[in-house]
Amino acid sequence: MEYSFEAHKIIGGIGADDEYWRSLENNEFRLPQCAKCGKWTWPAHFRCGDCGSWDFNWVKLEPEGNIFSWTRSWYAFDRVRERTEDIPYITVLTEIPEADNARILGVLKGDDTGIQIGLPVRGSIEPPSEKTKFYPSITWEIIR
Amino acid sequence: MTDIRGKTAIVGVGQTPYFKRGTSEHPALKLCLEAIVEASEDAGLDPKDIDGFVSYASENSDAQKLMAGLGTREVRFASLTWIHGGGIPGALSIAAAAIMTGQAEVVAVYRSMAESFGQRLRVDVAQNDTAAQYLVNGIESPTQILALRAQRLMQHHGVPRSALRAVSQASYYHARNNARAVGRQIELDDETYDNSRMIADPYRLFDCSRENDGACAVLVVSAERAKHLRQKPAYILAAPMGTPGGGGALEENWRPYYATAGQVELANRMWASSGYGPKDVDVAQIYMNNNSMGIGAMIDHGFCTFENAGEFLTLENLTAPSGKLPINTSGGDLAEGFIHGMGLLAEATRQIRGDSTNQVPGAKLSLMTGGPGDTMSSTGLLGAEETL
Ligand SMILES: [Zn+2]
Repeated sequence: MEYSFEAHKIIGGIGADDEYWRSLENNEFRLPQCAKCGKWTWPAHFRCGDCGSWDFNWVKLEPEGNIFSWTRSWYAFDRVRERTEDIPYITVLTEIPEADNARILGVLKGDDTGIQIGLPVRGSIEPPSEKTKFYPSITWEIIR
Repeated sequence: MTDIRGKTAIVGVGQTPYFKRGTSEHPALKLCLEAIVEASEDAGLDPKDIDGFVSYASENSDAQKLMAGLGTREVRFASLTWIHGGGIPGALSIAAAAIMTGQAEVVAVYRSMAESFGQRLRVDVAQNDTAAQYLVNGIESPTQILALRAQRLMQHHGVPRSALRAVSQASYYHARNNARAVGRQIELDDETYDNSRMIADPYRLFDCSRENDGACAVLVVSAERAKHLRQKPAYILAAPMGTPGGGGALEENWRPYYATAGQVELANRMWASSGYGPKDVDVAQIYMNNNSMGIGAMIDHGFCTFENAGEFLTLENLTAPSGKLPINTSGGDLAEGFIHGMGLLAEATRQIRGDSTNQVPGAKLSLMTGGPGDTMSSTGLLGAEETL
């Protein structure tokens, strides 16, 4: 399969998270857990700094967690102009309890009334689009 | 093992006018030459004598390009400090180490920017190293990323809006006396602050730093040599750099603590090696990509806590000449202008000399904190001769 994100590769950060995006394009939410000691490492890395293992299992998880923080963007920032028409939009940083509270970013959809830290959210996996720079993504929705 | 404490000093300061971003008539390299030549004249040194060059972040005016214009006899040492504005005081450590080990005698520490000839500063500052996790989800600017931390600082740890406002107001208050300050005409009363437009919750316009064209340089020499030069030396007492375990390039997954500046360990090392503590500091230049991050830096350095930040961070306490902790006495990154934070080091030096436009009388210990929340940062303490 040809992956959209691979054809539109963004260079930056550690760069060990291809499997994350590949999984999302396959409509699965997976995070990396050390194959030897079980430590969750996020963002993904090439080696487990705790035990020295180079092997990770990408574990399939439910995209569910709690809002760790959030911001509402009111301005068309330079490198995310694709979202100009959505301003103001909210980006949420969600803690995933199942993965030792790894924090995953995603845009909020649905009703944002009363948004605050700690609220439970559920994620939906979205296919690549221009707004997501042709990467797959997760959007979060507050569980009411 | 020897420590850098008091072994070197800042003896020259050069700072070009600050232009609104994209309006400099000159490229960054020319501005950089101007700042370094001015710093040399200020110190009473010939620019030809500079044999060491240290900068940070994505600086493009490297020694190789400067030397023909400076008449450099030989570049004997050159280095770039990781990674963004976090690197500034750390650059002093590198300069000091180069001098103490005999690798260089006169080291320029500097930063130059001209957006008209480069890309948007905040894109330049990001060094094309923004992870897909951000860009895919509508986040690209440091302001948006730091807004996530600010929400935690305010909503989870309870630091009030009044603290953010006071920090901005102190910066603009000081800017009014500084002819270089880009924001000197703005009277930032409560109403102006409260009505300013939202940028990224919880940040309003006046919570954010500026972006300017300009250059700034300081010259560092040995303490011995400093005694024989024109200006009162600002001795480098400590300037540690680093990142705590559990921090780093972690895309908002910092664990040991998240909402402040990531500078607790740095500050502790600085206090330990300088022999001073927060209560001894006379004046502080606090790097502010955004004001809440500067508040985080002050908390990490022990000036206040989450609990008493609202009480401590008031306009009265933060302004010269007689506040408990006058900060950003040139106007700082918010109101003087933003050459990637480098102007703060010039002002920290002026406070030791006694020639700031908002002088703290008799200031002997002058702090400059590096980029807060940066994946690697640093912090630095300058002192007058009596503090050695
Ligand atoms: Zn492991």
